[in-house]
Amino acid sequence: MSRMTRLTCAATLLAALGAGIGAAAAQGQPGVSADAIKIGTFGALTGPGYLYGKLAMNGIDVVFDEVNKAGGVNGRKLQLIREDDRCDPATAITAVQKLIHQEQVFALIGGGCSNATFAARETIEQAKIPFVVVASVHDGITQPPAANIFSMALTSSIESQAQLAFALQEGAKKIAVISMRDSWGRARYLPLMEAFKAKGITPVADEEMSPDANDATAQVLRLKATGADAVIMVLFPKPAAIFARDAQKLGFKPILIGQTGIGDPAAFEDQVGVPGATAKFTTISMVKYTPTDPAVDKWRTLIEAKFPGDRLSNFNLFGIGAAQALVEALKRAGPDITREKVIDALAGLKDLVIDVYPGPISCSQTDHRCNKFPAWISKEPGGPIKVLSITRVE
Amino acid sequence: MTMLSYLLLSGITTGALYALVALGLVVVNKATGVINFAQGELFMVAGFIAWSIHVQFGFDFALALAGAVLVGFVLGCAIDRIAFRPLLRADVVAIVLATVGISFMLKGIGRIIWGGKGDYLSFPPITSTDPIMLGEIVLVPQQIAVLAGAIAIMLAFGAFFRFTRIGKMMQATADNAKAATLVGIRIERIYTLAFGTGAAVAAAAAVLAAPLTLLYPDMGFSFFIKGFAAAVVGGLTSLPGAVVGGLAIGIVEALAGGYIHSSMMEVSAFIAIMLVLLIRPTGLLSFYKARRV
Repeated sequence: MSRMTRLTCAATLLAALGAGIGAAAAQGQPGVSADAIKIGTFGALTGPGYLYGKLAMNGIDVVFDEVNKAGGVNGRKLQLIREDDRCDPATAITAVQKLIHQEQVFALIGGGCSNATFAARETIEQAKIPFVVVASVHDGITQPPAANIFSMALTSSIESQAQLAFALQEGAKKIAVISMRDSWGRARYLPLMEAFKAKGITPVADEEMSPDANDATAQVLRLKATGADAVIMVLFPKPAAIFARDAQKLGFKPILIGQTGIGDPAAFEDQVGVPGATAKFTTISMVKYTPTDPAVDKWRTLIEAKFPGDRLSNFNLFGIGAAQALVEALKRAGPDITREKVIDALAGLKDLVIDVYPGPISCSQTDHRCNKFPAWISKEPGGPIKVLSITRVE
Repeated sequence: MTMLSYLLLSGITTGALYALVALGLVVVNKATGVINFAQGELFMVAGFIAWSIHVQFGFDFALALAGAVLVGFVLGCAIDRIAFRPLLRADVVAIVLATVGISFMLKGIGRIIWGGKGDYLSFPPITSTDPIMLGEIVLVPQQIAVLAGAIAIMLAFGAFFRFTRIGKMMQATADNAKAATLVGIRIERIYTLAFGTGAAVAAAAAVLAAPLTLLYPDMGFSFFIKGFAAAVVGGLTSLPGAVVGGLAIGIVEALAGGYIHSSMMEVSAFIAIMLVLLIRPTGLLSFYKARRV
């Protein structure tokens, strides 16, 4: 054997050994085998929050199916394991613990209801498991940044800044706020007030509604008395619908500015139930397409084939976007995948274009709020949902 | 003046719904001495039953109302059989806990059946959505319909206890169960009827409320709390008291929200309750009755 041949053999042997050690290291990771990676997801499968849970999970599912059809991530198929958190903080902690310790998943993707995801943050952070947030917006989930948690959702402070920016962009002179003051509402309300302060503006009125409110006559009358021409709504769909209905009833017709909590203008129009009451309603979407857009035909076909009876919704698209970001990080982590490598890959995502998001995804070691491009959507009464504009929040 | 009239109208309409929930609680409490903590969830289930009949299957609103009331009545009777009758000799705390358990069970069922059909389900208005102008005041036909329906149910309820044989038997059992037994009233049946009637009233309230509010599986608790508060204000065993309590809470909420601040809406009703209980610990309309001997 010549010297050259011996060297080649040695190099090949070393490479094989290295790959073997790498594969062994990867297989030593929880949830990783030679041919599969177990990914856990949690969110509401039942109850009002199922839109941000179950439907987003369906979106993740079809992305994983597509990846698996194409051969998987570096040869490993992705396997999604779902847990129901019922939008409940205590249940979310249990769900996450089950996924991490019992199911031994490699990474997490999910989180629909902010309060539930926020409650689970500590457990996830301690486990040092990569976690990609799909739809929960609470700032506390990503601020201060946990090394292993990255959000593909718009966060509450980003949305609040965008709401004020939109009101000003629309030429509003008298801006009022109506908000819920539970933990979901406060997570948005406080950054909103900071945004007002930063712009040197004082809202003309600052009213409250409870999540279970059945009447908004008092709030509407108080706001109407101030002559507000724009109302920033930090409300769930139910109180928001009651407010819009009563505003129409009492002849109060300002611009109504929503956020992703009221992310489906078609459902909102139906919930308000009074013709014309949503004519001046505009809200934020995390995605740049509406479900009827031909650009998302591919996803519509996949969702409707896998989940018969379902129609593609924005909430599916939330899951689709976040899943694509996670898949990219898994790929970048390489064949000898470890949790640390995936976390590094997530932190290194920069200007990543994902087809459903309004702008590129950029994370960093210090900022894990990776999506900063809210899209503004509205629906003319009886007409389709339209994307009006995209705001970039710094 | 216009603001006051708007606030009073909205307060009375919302209060009438609280009063109906309170009536259901009082009927059960009068007959059995137990607060049915599943009352809010019965309200929720009945609302969804009506939604399924009217929206999902396209039947008339009247049929939806009848169906929901019937299902409510049957569920109420079932609660008597499951959570009350077997525990008749147990401590009252055990019975209350059993009704709490039933409430969780009903919420779970609601989540499974209707929880995946939309975040909040809307119920189509039963009247025109065009407002009616009465001078400077805007009246919403839907609100008027709800108010009229609530008043009709309250009057029917009053007539049931005053003029029907069964109603009188329920009154007798509520006044003195042992004496009722001695005169041949089968009080177990009265208990069943009380649970059934209480649930049927909650069901009627839910169907009336459905077009004004939105339906979701967790909606029961807030209505229960307001209904319970109304019942407490009224004296827990007084049917007129439940009505007065419900209306009072609705009006206090609306006026506090309109004239002080919207943040006071939730708090004001409970401040009012504390004041009422400080001044009249037995409630507004709960009087000690003189007995003939």
